[in-house]
Amino acid sequence: MVFSELCFLYYFLPIVMLLYFVSGNKLRNVIIFITGLLFYAWGEPFYVVIMLLSTLIDYTAGRLMDKYDDDNKKRKICLIVSVCMNVGLLAVFKYSDFIFDSINGLLGTSITNPVVLVNRGLNKIYPFGLNEKRVDLPVGISFFTFQSMSYTIDLYLRNIKVQKSFLNFSSYVSLFPQIVAGPIVRYEQVAGELESRTVTVPKISAGAALFVKGLAKKVLLANNVGVIWTQVKAMDYGSISAATAWLGILAFTFQIYFDFSGYSDMASGLGKMLGFEFPKNFDHPYISKSVSEFWRRWHITLGSWFRSYVYIPLGGNRCGAAKTYRNLIIVWALTGLWHGASWNFVLWGLYFGLLIIIERLGFGKVLEKLPSWVSMLYTFIAVVFGWVLFDTDTLSDAGHFIAAMFGAGGSAVDGYFKYTIVSNCFLLVMCILISGGVGSRISEYAGEKSRSFKAVSTAVFVTGGLLLCTAYLVDASYNPFLYFRF
Amino acid sequence: MSKNKTAQTRTAAQREQRTEVIASIATVLLFFGILVGFGLVTVFSEKESFSETQNRKLADFPKISGKNIYSGKFTSGVEDYISDHFAGHDRWIAAKTAAELLSGKRERNDIYILDDRLVEKIAEPDMDEVSKSAMGIKQFAEDNHILPYVMIVPTQAEIYKNELPANAPNPDQQAFINDVYSMLDGSAVPIDVYSVMSANKDSYIYYRTDHHWTTQGAFLAYTAAAKKMDITPLSVSDYDIDHASDSFKGTFYSKVLYEGIEPDSIDIWLPADREKEPEVEIYSTFGAEPEIHEGMYFREYLDVKDKYSTFFGTNQPMITIRTGNKGGRLLVFKDSYAHCFVPFMTEHFSEITMVDLRYIQMSYKDIIDVSDYDKVLFLYNASTFMSDRNLKKLMY
Repeated sequence: MVFSELCFLYYFLPIVMLLYFVSGNKLRNVIIFITGLLFYAWGEPFYVVIMLLSTLIDYTAGRLMDKYDDDNKKRKICLIVSVCMNVGLLAVFKYSDFIFDSINGLLGTSITNPVVLVNRGLNKIYPFGLNEKRVDLPVGISFFTFQSMSYTIDLYLRNIKVQKSFLNFSSYVSLFPQIVAGPIVRYEQVAGELESRTVTVPKISAGAALFVKGLAKKVLLANNVGVIWTQVKAMDYGSISAATAWLGILAFTFQIYFDFSGYSDMASGLGKMLGFEFPKNFDHPYISKSVSEFWRRWHITLGSWFRSYVYIPLGGNRCGAAKTYRNLIIVWALTGLWHGASWNFVLWGLYFGLLIIIERLGFGKVLEKLPSWVSMLYTFIAVVFGWVLFDTDTLSDAGHFIAAMFGAGGSAVDGYFKYTIVSNCFLLVMCILISGGVGSRISEYAGEKSRSFKAVSTAVFVTGGLLLCTAYLVDASYNPFLYFRF
Repeated sequence: MSKNKTAQTRTAAQREQRTEVIASIATVLLFFGILVGFGLVTVFSEKESFSETQNRKLADFPKISGKNIYSGKFTSGVEDYISDHFAGHDRWIAAKTAAELLSGKRERNDIYILDDRLVEKIAEPDMDEVSKSAMGIKQFAEDNHILPYVMIVPTQAEIYKNELPANAPNPDQQAFINDVYSMLDGSAVPIDVYSVMSANKDSYIYYRTDHHWTTQGAFLAYTAAAKKMDITPLSVSDYDIDHASDSFKGTFYSKVLYEGIEPDSIDIWLPADREKEPEVEIYSTFGAEPEIHEGMYFREYLDVKDKYSTFFGTNQPMITIRTGNKGGRLLVFKDSYAHCFVPFMTEHFSEITMVDLRYIQMSYKDIIDVSDYDKVLFLYNASTFMSDRNLKKLMY
């Protein structure tokens, strides 16, 4: 299930919340666990088993680590089992096609992915309808495996205490707001709230406002600006004008930001209503003044996960320059690969790794001295070129598209550009203002001036936003969630 | 004095706080009120199984079975069911149209919303496919030793191109029609209706809310065709014009549900001296006896949404009209533009057969004998001719 679906909005959400509000503290984790499973099974009736299995193994690993508290060897084995199992799930369900395609491409063989063979076998036993050609990615697998791992790793490092209640642990993994597309909430961040939390009217109200804000970002901005990119992406890059190419990739730039940050807002809003405080995931990344800063503002929870569990364990920047750069390259290749199983994504990650290394080598100092609009423009353009790599299907497509951005299509401006920019003028201006932080500034300013005014305008925003989004959802034929591929 | 002031500030601060509390309670109530309210109304409202505005069957609640659930059909079916039957469905669609117009867009669901009419956005034609359609007609002419007439009618998007938003994508239909006519050079007699339509663009020749031309538009084409086909056409004064309806909201309207355009009228042109309406045979399936209808006008459709179907009903594979007049026999390969055009031809032929290749799986040779006919006409609007892939079936 996804949040921007009528079924979720008008049935799942109110029913779960009403049940939750009338229940006592003890029942609440039961409700979270069961509804989380239902929520997940709604979209993945088969793969829900995998999520449960992963939960069970990590929970057991945690209990065993606790049991053999003095035996470091056994604790290590538990950690290795947990990490291997999670990484293994990713390898099987997310990367196996990519691995076999790469091998076959390299050696000229045609080995069938064994996972596909298993799918075929299972379909013979019962018509599960599993894909017999490719491996379908279980929704949210990149998120829940990373979350689960944060628990066993932190437990091994003795940063946290063991969770003895299976109910509490599985509530953490299957907490429906964040299960599908993050934010990647680390166990330690919600450990206390899993035991007890309070739900109050101001919290629910703030949660509703954050939820509607995210919904509006997704439904009103991301989906509509995404239409432009869908059109441009399908064009022949050899003959589009430079302006059209730029417009297309800028549309994607906004689409992915509003899609993903909208989803994070919705998740955090829902979390708030349930009494959880999720970490911030986006902080107006497009006004960053360096690529390093961009990555501190974009998908913050993923960056901090890789920093805590890969970069620092590898030695971080404490083992000399050479190792620091090696570590950066590993982290960025993995970050790229996390986003998707293809060479485009690996290259996309390495591209950012390279830019960050260049900034560390001294360019960062230069950026600080430059006027801020110059460093912002540099960062923004660097990110936009990154998106070309990210969302074109092959490396050669990416190359042709970038060529088109420099006029290889033969013209600077064409009719499509003129028409589209005029008819989407309002939408694009809204995208620029909101991603630039103007909306948040106004809301903060209003809050400082008059809290009652802000509260009243919040009520109006929630009502209006929800109704307007409903109109767009009832009409929606175009409603794909970008972050489902990851 | 100062005491008074503190008291005042306190009450102001209290008032501020009270408003804040009330507003946050209101936020929660409004948020859940909207969700629960529309959720419940959707569940308990009476369900339609067919939507007239959308001209399609609405989703049924999906069957609950293991297979459906594992394949994900159940859950996607529930979502379809909810969106199709959502409380106030059409009003939400209209609200989205209003929001889009407010944001400065003039295009919605491939419809351009102009000041006084709706116009369809047409995709650029795939000329390789179009040339196959032309090949089909050529092959047909050769196989049957006949010189067919071909009439490709421009649509609103061409005739009103100057009223479209600046730079709106819009293929040049005049050039397209000329291209097709030159592909057919020597194998068919082209009938130019572009000039007459474009010269009369200020008259009511196209519906404002539907993709068809009006009876008046078809009449202009009839006079243009008559010249080529050696027919002496009737003149306007020979007809009694029956304004059968003035509340027609057509297919374009359905796509946008925009009320800012005046509804259309349906006019039925009846020759003043006609004594008996022709008899119409409708072949919806071959092999079975045709359904017989007295007259070409299906007035029962005047009471429903799809009022254009007053002309010969909905699209059918084959329709034969026994006109009761003297003259030869005419075979028409067509799309629905023919439905308000063909009645004009009944004055000049004893029998007219309309074949809609889009609804025929077999070869045309299996259902008609072309040698029975004196004249053959291909009548398509440019948009159908650009996109339809069925004319190439004439090659077999």
